[in-house]
Amino acid sequence: MFKRKLDTKQSEEKKPHRLNVDDLKSDLQSEIGDCMDLNFRTLKKNGKKILVCFLSSLIDKTSFDEYILLPIQQNTLDEWTTESLAQILPIAEISAANQLKEIVSSLIEGKAYIYIDGEPYGILANVGTTVERSLEKAETESLVYGPKISFTESLIGNLNIIRSNLKDPKLCMEDIVIGKRVKTPGKLVYVKDIADEDNISTFRQRINDLEYDYIPDTTVLGQLIEDNSWTIFPQIMSTELPDRITLSLMRGRVAVLMDRSPSAIYGPTPFLSFFESTEDVYMRWNMGLFLRMLRIISIFLSVLLTPAYVAVLTYHYEVIPSALLISLGQSRANVPFPPVIEALLLEFTIELLREAGARLPTKVGQTMGIVGGIVIGQAAVQAGFTSNILIIIIALSALGSFTSPSYLMGTAVRMLRFPIIILAGIWGGIGIMFSFCFIMIHLLRLTSIGRPYFMPIYPFRWKDLGYSIIKFPNQYLSHRPVTNRPIDKKIFPKQKGVEKKDVDE
Amino acid sequence: MKIDLHPKEGLLVNAFLVLFFINAAQTGVGVIGLPRIVFLAAKHDSWISVFLGGLFTSFVLTMMVLMLKKYDSADLYGIQVDVFGKWIGNALNIFYMSYLSISFFVILMNYIEIVQVWIFPDLPTWQISLALILLTIYAVNGGIRIVVGVAFLSVVGTTWMTFILIVPMEYADPKNLLPLMNTDIKHILNGVYKTSLSLMGFELLMFLYPYVKDKKKVFLYSQIGNLITTFIFTAITMVCITFFAENGLARTIWPVLSMFKIVRLPNLERFEFIAVSFWMLIILPNMCCYLWAASKGFSRIIKWKQKKGIWIIGILAWGGSFFIKARYQMNELTDFVAHLGFLTAFCYPVLLSVLVLVKKWFQGRKQSSVEDS
Repeated sequence: MFKRKLDTKQSEEKKPHRLNVDDLKSDLQSEIGDCMDLNFRTLKKNGKKILVCFLSSLIDKTSFDEYILLPIQQNTLDEWTTESLAQILPIAEISAANQLKEIVSSLIEGKAYIYIDGEPYGILANVGTTVERSLEKAETESLVYGPKISFTESLIGNLNIIRSNLKDPKLCMEDIVIGKRVKTPGKLVYVKDIADEDNISTFRQRINDLEYDYIPDTTVLGQLIEDNSWTIFPQIMSTELPDRITLSLMRGRVAVLMDRSPSAIYGPTPFLSFFESTEDVYMRWNMGLFLRMLRIISIFLSVLLTPAYVAVLTYHYEVIPSALLISLGQSRANVPFPPVIEALLLEFTIELLREAGARLPTKVGQTMGIVGGIVIGQAAVQAGFTSNILIIIIALSALGSFTSPSYLMGTAVRMLRFPIIILAGIWGGIGIMFSFCFIMIHLLRLTSIGRPYFMPIYPFRWKDLGYSIIKFPNQYLSHRPVTNRPIDKKIFPKQKGVEKKDVDE
Repeated sequence: MKIDLHPKEGLLVNAFLVLFFINAAQTGVGVIGLPRIVFLAAKHDSWISVFLGGLFTSFVLTMMVLMLKKYDSADLYGIQVDVFGKWIGNALNIFYMSYLSISFFVILMNYIEIVQVWIFPDLPTWQISLALILLTIYAVNGGIRIVVGVAFLSVVGTTWMTFILIVPMEYADPKNLLPLMNTDIKHILNGVYKTSLSLMGFELLMFLYPYVKDKKKVFLYSQIGNLITTFIFTAITMVCITFFAENGLARTIWPVLSMFKIVRLPNLERFEFIAVSFWMLIILPNMCCYLWAASKGFSRIIKWKQKKGIWIIGILAWGGSFFIKARYQMNELTDFVAHLGFLTAFCYPVLLSVLVLVKKWFQGRKQSSVEDS
């Protein structure tokens, strides 16, 4: 019984709309609802009615007038059929349609539907336009070196940037539909003979399996297709830099772009790749190496310093040499709180400052910084709220967390500090070590698009160390990172990189 | 029960990780007290005992690998059933499981004792044991790859501690080692016996073996792992003998930590506070490996889910921690495990491998005679 019902439903759906201009009008009206911007224009040619319907908010008025109305009005054809109409329209993207559903969804995409009375089907012509901003410099990922261009909200524009950056004939851009109710077009981008087939199909399958009604941005998409949604560590990188995407594509990763989203996501991205900046590539290798080590150490210190202060001052003051202990004691003499409360209070203030600065308009934001600086730097100490040394430590760790090129990872690191401070207040050094062990196991257990998150440290891939934790000179990086399992493994012949000439040769 | 275990391709670990696995499983709480315990038996020649103990371990490892190679991809649970039959084999399996669980418990309790003596005298045992057990369960629930990963990161993350030995060496008196070979052989062998508690952990190779990708290299890497441990232990013992005066070492229960006391950085003193905290990273793989191997028995012997086994052993260990209250109880338990460990980790695998080799030799002869006729 159910099957029969389904069959009739399908055949109903397959049926064309009513082949009469007036009926079609009322059908469309009822289907789209009370859309005030659904417009109809009826022309009469040789006694035949020609109906043009469109959503006025989505189409480009001039091209509509020039490429649809003008050719129809000026032509003096004897016979008006759909075929002859298709011949005279100077538009590249036209298609035939007669399903009501299809027509409605096309109208929403910004197409115009042209129907001649009595014909079996009509024409969908693309005269849509979308509001776009012009190309700008990257805001969230600022760089000193390298290309400054960043993605915008237009999918076509973004694809254009990638294609023109990466003129590889094997560059594939696969169509995907993102979301179930609101179907946003997207692209799965990879280089065919480099990217691992498993990674591609994992991305494809996870996006296709999504039963989500509306996905506003790639960052939301990233959250939905992540391996573990409970953890605070991001597992898929999102970026607004096209060169970051192209570099990753050439290393065998897979990227997803989406219409109306100014950032792209790519994976698999293990933990350490969140500390890589494209600048490391553009800089000379030794500078890149230095910066990368600086970043990793500063992140580590950012997590460790404040808890260490709390642990040492609460339980283990024996570890401080006596000379240092005196100055510490003096600065803490006025503070009425235990170190945990003191540290939490100040960390909280810093977080407040950061959040307020991010929300406010730029002009007011600067004032915020000055006010916050004075309040935290001077008044808090004089009022006996905190000690001088803690301010130095908190400032250092706040700075450290901002060095991460990924804003998501920086936020994760800052959030991570709070539970560790509390544990340090409860169990001292044991508490800190406990949380470090926990984070270690947690990172070992995570995966990014099915690949271990702690690569290349564990499972250990010494070949990839030059790509992640440190940076090797380019002549020694003749292979693509093994972590991404590239199909084409070589970047250049290894022999050429290490060739050495004899003296006076 | 199937004798061979064929894990999925994705679960296998690289052969060179066996090196880290063996090293991490051996280095644990034992080494903190090792110099004194051996010193009580073999006096100033105790470093020779430790070294001999390492060589003996390497012999046991050789026998073990010989035995494992006779099978395609079997662990100890399978081999015991294959050799002794279903009933005796499974009884032995349950015995081995309980040995592994008790080792897990002893490692945990020893570490807690150190924490309580050196840092927090008033910290309730149940709190810290709960935290550590939950941490271990979290790791073991991730499977063998995570356990080996913890072992790997633990070794990589704690290598720097070996270099701290340089500091006490400045104050050492090498003459304490002389005269060489002055202790008679009986005492030295007694020292070797005392070393067994610290060197334990290598027997877990018999459980890891099916999960190694390239089984031909297991022998090489397990030997290297054991050799590294032996050298570190011997060096620690030597430094301890030369650093402490004779009576001093006999009276110091945790000589390694006591030595750390003198380490001084411009902004840090009393290094043992950091060392004790850091030791958690050293004992974590120990606990993980033992818990993993013990809980593996649940899925191998009675076909339960391994997850269930992990929780059962974890809860039992936590419950057990309430019963240990005094130092002498801890001492007795540790001594008991040391004796048990010497039998089950050193002697038994040798015996078993001889049995397996003889059995396989007979089978081979039978088969060839059948083929001949």
